[in-house]
Amino acid sequence: MRARVLLKFAKILMISRLRGTRRSFVTNSITARPVIIALIGIGLFVFGLGLGWVTISVLTSSSTDATAVAQIVFTIFGGIPIFLIGFFFSMGLLWELNASTESETTDAINWLPITPSEYVLASTLSTSYTYSPLVAVVLGYALPIGFLTGNGDAFVLLVGISLVATLIGSVGVEILRSMLARASSAFSRIGGNAMVAMRILGVVLVLVFTQALFSGFLVVRIISTLVGDIAATVAVPVFWPTLSITSLLGSDLLSSAIYSLLSLGFFFVLTYIALFLRARFWITAPPSLHFSSSGSLSGISKLRWLGLSSLSVALLRRELRSATRRKEVVRLMAIPLILPVMVLFPVVFSPAPSSTTTPPVAVNPILLAGPLLFGVGLGALFLGITSIGQEGGRLWNIGSLPVGARMIAKSKILFTSIIAMIGLVLGLALAVLVFHLVILDAFVFSGLGLTVVLAESSLGIAVGSRYADFSEGPRPRFVTIAGSIIGSILGIIIMGLMSVAFVVTLLLTFRLGLSLPSILTPLPLFATAFLGLIFSRISYVISIRPIETILGEIPN
Amino acid sequence: MDSRGLAVETEHLTKFYGRTLGLSDLSFAVGSGEVRGLLGQNGSGKSTLLKSLLGLIHPTSGLVRVLGLDVQKFPMEIRRSVGYVPESPRLYEFLTATEYLDFIADVRGLSYAEKKERIGRLIQALDLEGKQGDTISGYSQGMKQKVALMGSILHRPRVLLLDEPLNGLDPKSARVVKELVHSLAHEGVTTVFSTHILEIAEAICDRLTILQNGRVLAEGTAQELREKAGLPGSGLEDVFLKLTGTKGVEDIVEALMR
Repeated sequence: MRARVLLKFAKILMISRLRGTRRSFVTNSITARPVIIALIGIGLFVFGLGLGWVTISVLTSSSTDATAVAQIVFTIFGGIPIFLIGFFFSMGLLWELNASTESETTDAINWLPITPSEYVLASTLSTSYTYSPLVAVVLGYALPIGFLTGNGDAFVLLVGISLVATLIGSVGVEILRSMLARASSAFSRIGGNAMVAMRILGVVLVLVFTQALFSGFLVVRIISTLVGDIAATVAVPVFWPTLSITSLLGSDLLSSAIYSLLSLGFFFVLTYIALFLRARFWITAPPSLHFSSSGSLSGISKLRWLGLSSLSVALLRRELRSATRRKEVVRLMAIPLILPVMVLFPVVFSPAPSSTTTPPVAVNPILLAGPLLFGVGLGALFLGITSIGQEGGRLWNIGSLPVGARMIAKSKILFTSIIAMIGLVLGLALAVLVFHLVILDAFVFSGLGLTVVLAESSLGIAVGSRYADFSEGPRPRFVTIAGSIIGSILGIIIMGLMSVAFVVTLLLTFRLGLSLPSILTPLPLFATAFLGLIFSRISYVISIRPIETILGEIPN
Repeated sequence: MDSRGLAVETEHLTKFYGRTLGLSDLSFAVGSGEVRGLLGQNGSGKSTLLKSLLGLIHPTSGLVRVLGLDVQKFPMEIRRSVGYVPESPRLYEFLTATEYLDFIADVRGLSYAEKKERIGRLIQALDLEGKQGDTISGYSQGMKQKVALMGSILHRPRVLLLDEPLNGLDPKSARVVKELVHSLAHEGVTTVFSTHILEIAEAICDRLTILQNGRVLAEGTAQELREKAGLPGSGLEDVFLKLTGTKGVEDIVEALMR
């Protein structure tokens, strides 16, 4: 093990991670002088300090009793280690999902004399240091809370345990990375569409888990479980850092010491496993996916029965294959599938009802429609906004073929809409099962959702073609930052305008007590759908010129 | 077809990439059924010229005509009749070779029977049998080049634009491509072919155009270029180095070996 190489390599990995994510004044400054991350950490520590001081001031000045304050301290201190493990693991995981396969195979680590252990430790250090400002802010927040509530010893332990938790999360990613490489090469050898479907499912599950973690509901649920039944959680190693803190807060010094040592031991075991797996399973270039020995040609598609031309079908088929087979695109396609599911998080992760005999509460369909359609619309927008830029260096393929801008725009809108509609149907199916949404309402929502999806997909293509980013780094982003911001704002405005008819109807009904004649009840529905179609048409027309410009000046 | 028998023609073509000059007042013409070789040092404008001929880049000024049509005014018509292989073809790596060619064939409007026959024959001719069901991401550079070549001739183009088409090809495949270009020329297909391999340029091209700094430096058959350089009987490499003013190769090698 060469310490100098290790530190140098950790720095290179961190620079690559930051520059591959976003090139901006901030990342350029940070990558030029990595010490800036530490300075940002110090700044955030001070900010956290202020926030923590405000929190404890509010708690102590109000009439909150001592037991409740202790409970709050217990939740905050106990939540920090598990949150840090989850955060560092998730950030590494998302990086892994977003990384371009092509740049991975040409990565310097594949041909430089760097040992597996040097790689694992350098990568762990790099992940930990890159996101270390988060540790600084949570510790800053915890400091006044700990000392002003007489839990200074718990804070001191929290500093050490947070470091261990950070390293556990970071090294966990290394294990996952090697296992994914192994699984990926095994699946590639098996090949076929079933493997592609399994990979999509895997990515969706990983993203759902990550989003669940960051939604906060899951962490709160975990802490509730810890408070309610510690015996059930002592066997789960990721809880040990939390248990070391909560034991100390409960004045159980022996348990706290044991859990602290166990946490440290857990980190060492994970490191050993990561080193072993890296040495055993890492492959420089994953084998190509195998689909058939002879290769099969497509016949006449059933989609042509819907009036699509063979050219449209060919473009749509290529979009679908791109979306399902390119790792960095699969996660984009997963967005419209995940967002509707996320809407249901508060219910899924809320504490279990005390009585199983309580009937499920019926939800007002309009209140459900809002977030669900918003989620799907946003998903369609993001998928559309990235769909032009993801062509990258392959743009010449389309540029040299007799395909016009209109056809490209139509195929992208069609593809984005199909994927987003799958997300909507999935969300509605869950709503029917969980919220007992009436099936007729679900059908109405899917019709309305189609117009939302069309409007947002078309807007995404219009913005994505004007602000396309064709650069291909370790983590391609496909759209410029300005494009992302403008697209998001316009997307929200459009959805806001589309919901005006509903909002007016709700105000008339609930505020003024007026109700529309029954013959006019579907009016807001039709008005919204009509607006959606108009926005879709406008966005489609707007997208043609920039696509023509791109085709006439293929970027180098 | 142009009345003067020209398949490809540029007039005073200039292209700036920002402040960088790509092509400078370049006028150039290739006759129907001719195989024209483009030679030049790195950055001389070969790739820019080929992209301009297909309308993949917009000229700053000047005119480009292919098969008698203005490329800027009739891009779709040109793309229907032209096949193109870029210098480093980035294909759709997530598709298999068959799927990629199937996509190209569908976009170009080939019937099922036609595409089946042509794709099968090309895969066999360029030794991709048994690999065509794997995604392109796992292919070697040469295999990717073969797939790009197949895609460019699948629709029987009338004009073929090849930018360093022999990059990474094994000797057998390189030979197949050379013979293919010859055969296509006999059928009246015009080929504009950029290469750094001077022996190949001499062997398969009817005429050669040497570019330098975005301009035509010299043009003619290999023999005419030798005479122009005052080096009759010399190899084309010496002629190229003399015409492009490349000096002191020995000094550079010596410096590298120090």
